[in-house]
Amino acid sequence: MNPTQFLREGFVEIREHLGRALLQTLGVILGVASVVATLGMTASMDARRDQYFLESGGTLLMGVYNQPPAQLEMSARQRAKTGLKLSDAAAIRDTIDGMDLVVAEIARSLQVRAGATEERFRITAIEPEFMQMRELTMGSGRYITAHDMETAAAVVVLGSTRARQLFGTADPVGKALNINGKAYTVVGVTAKKIFFWQRSDDYNAHEWLNRLIVVPITSYMKRHQEAGAERIDELNLRLRSPEVHEESRDALEMLLRSRHGIEDFGVWDRQERLEQGAQEDMIYNVTFMACGVIALLVGGIVITNIMLASFTERMREVGVRKALGATGWQVFVQFLIEAIVVTVCGGAAGLALGIVFTFGIMSVMQMDMTITASMVIVSVASAAVVGFFFGLYPAVRASRLDPVVALRYE
Amino acid sequence: MQTMMKLEGITKVYGEGDLSVEALRGVDLEVGVGDYLAVMGPSGSGKSTLMHILGLLDSPTSGSYLLDGQEVAGFSRRRLAHLRNKKIGFIFQNFNLLPKASLLRNVELPLLYGGMGKVERRKRAHEALEMVGLADRARHRPNELSGGQRQRGAIARALVGRPSVIMADEPTGNLDQQTGIEILELFGELRAGGQTLIMVTHDPAIAVRARETIRIVDGLILPNGQRAAA
Repeated sequence: MNPTQFLREGFVEIREHLGRALLQTLGVILGVASVVATLGMTASMDARRDQYFLESGGTLLMGVYNQPPAQLEMSARQRAKTGLKLSDAAAIRDTIDGMDLVVAEIARSLQVRAGATEERFRITAIEPEFMQMRELTMGSGRYITAHDMETAAAVVVLGSTRARQLFGTADPVGKALNINGKAYTVVGVTAKKIFFWQRSDDYNAHEWLNRLIVVPITSYMKRHQEAGAERIDELNLRLRSPEVHEESRDALEMLLRSRHGIEDFGVWDRQERLEQGAQEDMIYNVTFMACGVIALLVGGIVITNIMLASFTERMREVGVRKALGATGWQVFVQFLIEAIVVTVCGGAAGLALGIVFTFGIMSVMQMDMTITASMVIVSVASAAVVGFFFGLYPAVRASRLDPVVALRYE
Repeated sequence: MQTMMKLEGITKVYGEGDLSVEALRGVDLEVGVGDYLAVMGPSGSGKSTLMHILGLLDSPTSGSYLLDGQEVAGFSRRRLAHLRNKKIGFIFQNFNLLPKASLLRNVELPLLYGGMGKVERRKRAHEALEMVGLADRARHRPNELSGGQRQRGAIARALVGRPSVIMADEPTGNLDQQTGIEILELFGELRAGGQTLIMVTHDPAIAVRARETIRIVDGLILPNGQRAAA
């Protein structure tokens, strides 16, 4: 007797006892659904987060910011010495191989005048690699160049939102802009960047990039700081590859500690956050999976019970099959395959239910849904495993039935 | 006459110790190829037990059973199942067709367990149905058939594997008289074709249809002299 025949018998059994089969596999359906929904939700949210990271410079971004040590008593002289400096950026570039891009940054609120508009805006002073780091593209004109840096050129690049705010619909390239009384020329406007965490959301996670008013950091230092002042606010960094993450971060902290004498900085690190996120996902997944597994176990027990309960009803059938020459093994395989067919159908139903559930949650959260191969594999495989183990006992019992007893059973 | 089945000193004891019941107490029996034998006896006489042993559904406690020249007493359940599949065709009082399967699938079952391929199986099942005049009912389910048709379906199922012996247990017990006669006429045709048949019944009017009748009482076959008188 070949397996397809057994499969067919299994399907016939389900069709004939649809209510019983449904009841039998309800636990499996719910268990699989909850596992699928868990996987689905984490997968969907992870996919969105990865997308955000991808569109905003990748997972290799890192940053160093000033964080004065809290308890330490410091003299004014000491305090003046601490903090990140432009020379730190150069030192990192020179000594840490794992760092691909290094961008020093200062940001201040200053008085900005363009035409008739005059308002306080945040001015961001950076180095040219900032464009590459944040995956910016130009809407018009050009970005800050190395030449601008060397010459401390009085040029400014606007984010698309700011450009519209200051100059309306006209192209601002070539127009004059005044920052704290110093004259600058607009050389470019970056293209609008958009990222919505949720569909039809009005919060654009990239909007801050559209609101930037960017000048070369050398120009800023020359025009808006006293001579010799070297302090900067932040260092933006990008790693060469994920492999060099740990060694580069260690080297970075060691370098800055030795240069500053004390730990007066903090580090943010996307790679680290991603790893933490993965860990949080794991805890979340494991918790919900445990619930799913318990549901599957209960489902399995129900399967065994119902198969045993329907046993007397099927005793004569087993007797007839045996009288016609079925061996115990053939009866065993038939019953086991039947159980597996029932649970795998339940698994498929659970998969569908889980996807519908995930879809529901995701539409409430206005996010797109991701269906992964692991959802399909896990649901079908776990259902089959449940069917196998919890079908074993009834199958063994059926196979051992004495045909004489089974035939006599009324 | 060539021997199909030869039983010598067959006993069957159920249970153990004081509670044991001797269902068969030393049965000797010889059935020739092409015989048509009726087994009669009151209930509790051991005729069902004899039937089960002859049909390889049960093993004797002691004694020798040669089926088609092969000693089968003491065979494992697995070997009995294989042998049963090849050598024995069963017909039951209540037909015992699987209710969820079409007549064709019911008839195919013995071949399926025998490991025959699908195409050959189909062909043989159709042939068997034709033999009992149910070729046009192949796709029907048992509950769509009359009692007589069901029993004829069961006969087709018993015949399909070309067994050495067909064993019928009260084959007309659930049928009205006219239908019962039709079934017995079918048996007569099979017998004429050389098929060995053993039929268990309590009804003398039916037993006379067989070529020979044995009576079993208290686990023993009545002596030969009474065989003819039955």
